[in-house]
Amino acid sequence: MENAKKFGMVIDLDKCTGCGACMVACMAENNIPFRADNTDKMLSISWMHVYKLNNRKLFPDYEECYLPRPCQHCEGHGGHSPCVSVCPATATDYDMDTGIVSQIYPRCFGCRYCMAACPYHVRQFNWWDPLWPDGMEKMLNPSVSVRMRGVVEKCSFCIQRYQQAKDRAYMEGRREIAEDEYQTACTQACPAGAIVFGDLNNPEHAVHQLAQPDPARHGHSKNPRAFRLLERLGTNTKIYYLSSREWVRKAGDNYLEGEFKSKAHS
Amino acid sequence: MKVDRRSFLSFILGGAAGTALSPLPWKLTDDFSIWSQNWPWTPVPQKGEISYVNSACTLCPGGCGISVKKVDERVIKIEGLKGHPVNDGGLCILGLAGAQLLYGATRIQTPIKKVNGRWQKLSWKEAITELAARLKELRAKGSAHTVACVAGSDRGTVPELFSRFLAVYGSPNFFRTPSIWDSYELALYLTQGTRSMAGFDIENADFILSFGSGLIEGWGSPGYMFRAKGLLRKNGGRMDQIESRLSKTAAKSDHWIAINPGTEGALALGLAYVIIKEGLYNQNFIDQYTTGFSDRKKRVIDGFPPEIVSKMTGISTGTIVALAKDFARARKPLAICGQGQGHLPGNLQEFLAVHTLNALVGNINQPGGVWAVPEPDYIDWPELEMDGVASEGLQQTRIDGAGSYRYPNARYLLHRLPQVVNASDESPVQVLFVVDANPVYSLQDTASVKKAFEKIPFVVSFSSYMNETTALADLVLPNHVFLERYEDVPVAYGFPKPIIGLARPAIEPLYNTRYVGDVVIQLAKELGHAIGAAFPWADYATCLEETLSDNWDTLVEEGYVVDAEFNGTDLADAFETDSAKFEFNNNEIRTLAGYNPVKAEGDEASYPLLLVPYDTMRLASGYVGSPPFLVKALEDTILTGSQVLVEVNPATAKQLGLSEGKTANLTTPKGAARVKVHLSNGIMPGVVAIPRGLGHTAYDKFLAGKGVNYNQLSSPVEDPASGHDAAWGIRAKLSRA
Amino acid sequence: MSTDEKVNEVSADTGDQDPITPSSGNDATSQADEDGATGPIILFFIVGLIASLIVGWVIFPQLLYSQKRQPVGFNHALHNEEVDNECESCHFFREDGTYSGVPKLAQCIECHEEVQGEDPEEAKFVNEYVAKGREVPWLIYSRQPDNVFFSHVAHVKTAQMECVTCHGNIGESESLKVYEENRISGYSRDIWGKNIAGFKRNSWDRMKMDDCSECHVKENINQNSVQTLKGGCFVCHK
Repeated sequence: MENAKKFGMVIDLDKCTGCGACMVACMAENNIPFRADNTDKMLSISWMHVYKLNNRKLFPDYEECYLPRPCQHCEGHGGHSPCVSVCPATATDYDMDTGIVSQIYPRCFGCRYCMAACPYHVRQFNWWDPLWPDGMEKMLNPSVSVRMRGVVEKCSFCIQRYQQAKDRAYMEGRREIAEDEYQTACTQACPAGAIVFGDLNNPEHAVHQLAQPDPARHGHSKNPRAFRLLERLGTNTKIYYLSSREWVRKAGDNYLEGEFKSKAHS
Repeated sequence: MKVDRRSFLSFILGGAAGTALSPLPWKLTDDFSIWSQNWPWTPVPQKGEISYVNSACTLCPGGCGISVKKVDERVIKIEGLKGHPVNDGGLCILGLAGAQLLYGATRIQTPIKKVNGRWQKLSWKEAITELAARLKELRAKGSAHTVACVAGSDRGTVPELFSRFLAVYGSPNFFRTPSIWDSYELALYLTQGTRSMAGFDIENADFILSFGSGLIEGWGSPGYMFRAKGLLRKNGGRMDQIESRLSKTAAKSDHWIAINPGTEGALALGLAYVIIKEGLYNQNFIDQYTTGFSDRKKRVIDGFPPEIVSKMTGISTGTIVALAKDFARARKPLAICGQGQGHLPGNLQEFLAVHTLNALVGNINQPGGVWAVPEPDYIDWPELEMDGVASEGLQQTRIDGAGSYRYPNARYLLHRLPQVVNASDESPVQVLFVVDANPVYSLQDTASVKKAFEKIPFVVSFSSYMNETTALADLVLPNHVFLERYEDVPVAYGFPKPIIGLARPAIEPLYNTRYVGDVVIQLAKELGHAIGAAFPWADYATCLEETLSDNWDTLVEEGYVVDAEFNGTDLADAFETDSAKFEFNNNEIRTLAGYNPVKAEGDEASYPLLLVPYDTMRLASGYVGSPPFLVKALEDTILTGSQVLVEVNPATAKQLGLSEGKTANLTTPKGAARVKVHLSNGIMPGVVAIPRGLGHTAYDKFLAGKGVNYNQLSSPVEDPASGHDAAWGIRAKLSRA
Repeated sequence: MSTDEKVNEVSADTGDQDPITPSSGNDATSQADEDGATGPIILFFIVGLIASLIVGWVIFPQLLYSQKRQPVGFNHALHNEEVDNECESCHFFREDGTYSGVPKLAQCIECHEEVQGEDPEEAKFVNEYVAKGREVPWLIYSRQPDNVFFSHVAHVKTAQMECVTCHGNIGESESLKVYEENRISGYSRDIWGKNIAGFKRNSWDRMKMDDCSECHVKENINQNSVQTLKGGCFVCHK
């Protein structure tokens, strides 16, 4: 546990252009299936989804902000993230070594408790058999297992890339991997450089420097520009968002109109 | 011994006990659970050796470097190439989904020809012989000039092979698909005298003033623009977006200034007014390197005071004045224009007005400024030896009239081709080659384009996909797709340095396809004589390698070459006009220097609204159709089911009695479509916005039949100054369905 | 119907007569004849027991597995003598740390471009596969489900484990054993182990998750999962 990592992400919403490259990079990397009609977003599987927020003002004071949302990899208290706590099949789990919430597809029997428990809609159910048009199954990435109908799936922080990075390090006789050796597909693809990924426990890593997590306050950021989604639920997530706009930071914690100043989870 | 109920039960009990004591139930449970977890119809991708092939993306003229990830002989993913000067590791959504275009279902797998309306396969030899026979016959008839070619570009070996073929065959009718780069080229040519491409050093600027350019929505080289916009922000630079709709670019700018669509050029001149009036221009630059300033000044001062501009644009005078001051006082201000991704050339006067702004602040060929990037000059093929037929054919005027007295400055006016074909009794084009283009989808007024294509007796498509144009073709000679072929990438649109990239095969061709270049060379050889002699290469590969000889090794190794010697900063040397200076005015500009907004087609009484198209990165709207991943990533505020949503301001919707998600009829003078309504405060009242890239009739179930193609509802409006299509929208009405 | 009623009646009577020991007494035999009591009941029980034990332990395993022959014979022992680097000579690691697994044709061709020896299997290999450029569809005894991530390099290079620990002495074998495929799950018998009860004597006798886990628990590797308090799932799954 001394060397325990806590992989996390900082997404700079000032830089994010909402282009959707992260979504597609994720789809290609993680064998995400697609169907003829994907417009019902509650049924369409997307581990990374870009949301559109607005400041609720009228033209021309209207503003928009784009918010990419991977799995938040909640730590909660001691790794009891909302989904892990409710899974009756031990199909999802929190690993204190990496801080990653795992999902083992064949173990899942599709009760979807985790989907109900997740406050972020990051979990999606395979209502249909994953089928690819003839020939396109050649594009499938063998480092990621294909999910069968009837199970829940979600973002894994591209765990296969961690596994591959470790393999390479072991091959070279190293035990530890460098920051740039393990980067998620979305981080790598973002053409605006809005996503930063790394070990939140490692002060050398960019994520740590940007997120400035305060261990005394369950990882609450000391960066005034940073916020986490629905932080007051105590989910203690590992995705930190940066925005210089106050309305965006407030929207991230779902401030209701007329609500008093929040007591962020502390 | 009688087997009664008791003994039977006892037997069963014994059996149950025995079974429980045997491994059978436990083993079966385990096996069945494993079986149920691994349905045989769920694909299991094969493991293998992971490798990467560095190449260049040719899905758009962005010139991004890509790294193609393979497992054994399968392409599994495309990633951005780290360290590439254009995109440095980042990649746009289309590039990332590119492998789906390799394995896509609508690929054409072998040459096919249309016989009585049905496709028939034929061999390459048959196809080329047949085409050559037709071309021979036309040439013999003295109709060489009726052979035309529509290409996605006019730079690089493939388009050059075609234009060379047409020239030596005897036709002047080579077309490039229209884009804002037509207007940028022209603006640079008129003011600076150079035939060059505009490049923008966004990353080193500190104030980008964009007149509707979708800087982060596919304008120029998307890979570069995304990166540069990020760097601009990092360096503390500012960006203001002037546009009638809150595009993503506008949303990511420091200020969004809504403007009456089509009046951007007037605003540019209004800003110039303030800059001149307040003496905020770069005196040194104006004095040393320009001519015609006083002339230009007079026109601007006379015609474009903020009050008038405010009335035209709908922007307050206060905003105009403040914006002009901020712009001129910035250290490195840079103005850019061209709507959205730049699919239409637009109004030349607007481009001149915006370019004038850059000249006023002296930010030309400077770090953080606009650059005249020289056209690539590596294609240095032997002089053509024309025979009599060729010389005669080349004397003919172009079908589109480009370069004629009426359109002296235009090089290609593709939007005029359908008009001319439809207006003639016999089609002036007898054989049409289409390469890297899908005009039946991407040109405005689809119905008329379709009619023209049906009228042209013989259309040859070189497309790898069964797109709208190919569906109307008579012969299809499918090219390898971009991951299967070598090709030079001569430009990265909007990138401020000359750069050549090399796309190279990541995988052996999957089907019986062939290099377009090879087909041209073989066709020429089949025609023989002077035509064959003009193509001395054995095949395209040889041609490419010889053409790039100096750079070939570097290109193969690095994937790109940047011209290290390029430096245009010496302004005394930069301009090739008669005066060797930047010309604010000259004989040609004199006729163009004002500003006449191009009117949208349709009358206001019947069509009270303005319909404008918008671009999104999540839809490919060029000659490539969106692969399934893109359509999947599309917002549900753009597409729901197979219906497109149009954006309308809530105030406008209220007047029309429409609410969120309601189905409505969208009617323009050119057509009608059923759409859904999406209310947005990010659009001016009175304007309706519709995305480009939907409404395909071709391609697979992941794309076809979804939404509406804007081009079906619109039509070209000619810019009197250049002849180019400058329609930025069309009048429309929206009513409850 | 009538039999049932009769039996019920009779047993009720029996119960009345002797509620404590219903099947004892001198008239047991005569009763048994009538209502099928003790002896034959036990007999039937035993018959059922034995029959099901035979089915479960002997017949079921034979039915469960189909026997498949490898497409070509292979002599590990012979090859092992020829190479310098033991198993890794053919089953090598790539530079990126991934494990190559069963050699591809390209590797074999390095030596077997032409038939070298007398072995008919080699001739078959060269004629059927090398000459035709077809990969050999080897049946892999250790094939795991797709969602298993097994890092050979972590075990072999970092933990310095011997191949034998999991794979047994296959390197000394002179021929390839019959591949027994589980008709239900589709995996090799070697995963569950030869012993149908799942007992193992050697570390290489089974390759189920529990076997991996056993060692990981013992060696205290990544035992930091929140739910299981054992290894994190993503250590060995993908």
